[in-house]
Amino acid sequence: MVEFRNVTKRYDNGTLALQNVNIKIDKGEFVFIIGPSGSGKSTLIKLILKEEDPTEGEVYVNGYEVSALDRYEIPYLRRSLGVVFQDFRLLPNKTVYENVAFAMQITEALPKEIRRQVPMALALVGLSKKANVYPSQLSGGEQQRVALARALVNNPSLLVADEPTGNLDPETSMEIMRLLCEINHRGTTVIVATHEKTIVDAFKKRVIAIDKGIVVRDQQKGLYKDEDKNCQIYN
Amino acid sequence: MKIRTAKYIIRDGIVNIYKNKLMSLASISTVTASLLLFGVFLLIAVNLDYNTRALEQLPQMQVYCDYELDDFQVKQVEEAIKGNGRIAEYTMVTKKEAFEKLKELFEDDPSTLEGYDESFLPVSFIIKLVDATESNEVKAELESINGVDSVECPQKTVDIISRFGYWVKIVSGFLIALLVVISVFIISNTIKLTVFARRKEISIMKYIGATDWFIRWPFVVEGVIIGLVGALIAFALTSYGYGALEVKFNEELARSSLGFIKLIKASQINFAIVVLYAFLGGTVGAIGSVISMRKYLKV
Ligand SMILES: Nc1ncnc2c1ncn2[C@@H]1O[C@H](COP(=O)(O)OP(=O)(O)OP(=O)(O)O)[C@@H](O)[C@H]1O
Ligand SMILES: [Mg+2]
Repeated sequence: MVEFRNVTKRYDNGTLALQNVNIKIDKGEFVFIIGPSGSGKSTLIKLILKEEDPTEGEVYVNGYEVSALDRYEIPYLRRSLGVVFQDFRLLPNKTVYENVAFAMQITEALPKEIRRQVPMALALVGLSKKANVYPSQLSGGEQQRVALARALVNNPSLLVADEPTGNLDPETSMEIMRLLCEINHRGTTVIVATHEKTIVDAFKKRVIAIDKGIVVRDQQKGLYKDEDKNCQIYN
Repeated sequence: MKIRTAKYIIRDGIVNIYKNKLMSLASISTVTASLLLFGVFLLIAVNLDYNTRALEQLPQMQVYCDYELDDFQVKQVEEAIKGNGRIAEYTMVTKKEAFEKLKELFEDDPSTLEGYDESFLPVSFIIKLVDATESNEVKAELESINGVDSVECPQKTVDIISRFGYWVKIVSGFLIALLVVISVFIISNTIKLTVFARRKEISIMKYIGATDWFIRWPFVVEGVIIGLVGALIAFALTSYGYGALEVKFNEELARSSLGFIKLIKASQINFAIVVLYAFLGGTVGAIGSVISMRKYLKV
């Protein structure tokens, strides 16, 4: 589903953001990417979305060799996955419904399909009643749920989230995370980059920890801090 | 592209224009002004061309006898012309022929000629020279013949007009290029403002997998509509202005001694102008918007 092979990313200004990263994420998995600020979590997500290209190595996503994709193929890669960001990234002059529908319009989906899928996605995130409201009239948590509905409306097999709870209070964060878990239970692979300890510890999923661009831990049912005393990186 | 996508794109483009009323208006005015300026030169060029072509049918030189000459005296003038080695050929225009021609000229208004007959017209000779550059010498020689009233060189006027027309065409060509560049620049700047205001939106669209053309099309529609509206306004002004001018000018010209010059009728070129304006306006708009998008699509 997602595979990094010997990936190194060095930004143009010389910053080494990722070093020789090897990860393999299978279909149906739920994975936390954790690490302190500046460790390279967002860079990893950007490589999946082909917002950035690796300096060395290869990235595979949904059967695309992302690192070798041509510019004009990028939209098709992005349609095959759902994305959620810390800052929601909703279109301000479209209603909740239109925001979600837009993700289908760009794929030239049938209006009939759009009318069927959008209410379903909104129901899933519990926002059916707010369909005709504009993003500015919603709370942060609600906006993030709209973003989730948009990410899911095309039924992607992979959902990628970069700090989806970064702008939310703890309670709302837990709600969003529970939604992500539910989505994962329905069969979607979910990758969440975060540095929130409580969340990671509460869900006990696979944890990939990065520090200074290096993968320092890859553990099933992991916690934010490794209990192995030989590996106390975050103390 | 599917019809529903086209619908979305056109609606979005129109909404954009409406949302940026002021800038859209500024762009439309620019297109209109540029096209108007272009139109003025175009009309000058077209009319010069139209008239030179008509005037090229005119004789190189025409010798008018005194109108009271009798047949014998005319014969003497003809002999003198025949004997001039610099003249390649000549044709005599009898009084009768001249009057026929005049009647043709006043076809629309025969009353003007009422009470006149051919006798008040002179006999004339249409002359073709061996070498056109010798026209001054030949003119002097012909004028000295007994019984010759005047010698005219209509072709000289034609030469001047066609030389003038040549320069007008060059200047217009240059101006068109310049105006196109200016219009493209201004339209692309207007659209750049909308694009800039919507750059976040554009990057969001790119994140969720919109293709470049899906994002670009509404802006192209915006540019083309701005160009077309500008063209339409310019056309309305041009055709109204030129129409009025043409009627007045042709009346004046017909009354003056310059009756052989005529402005082309507005109805004859309106269609060509509207097509040309729309084409220029639309193209300029489309190019302007594509240029303005380039930077913001690289996400
Ligand atoms: N576009 C860029 N150009 C240059 N350097 C960059 C760029 N983006 C990120 N970096 C650098 O790369 C390193 C990794 O950044 P990244 O954004 O991946 O960290 P992160 O783990 O997401 O941090 P945070 O938790 O604060 O979001 C940092 O040192 C950062 O300064
Ligand atoms: Mg980050």
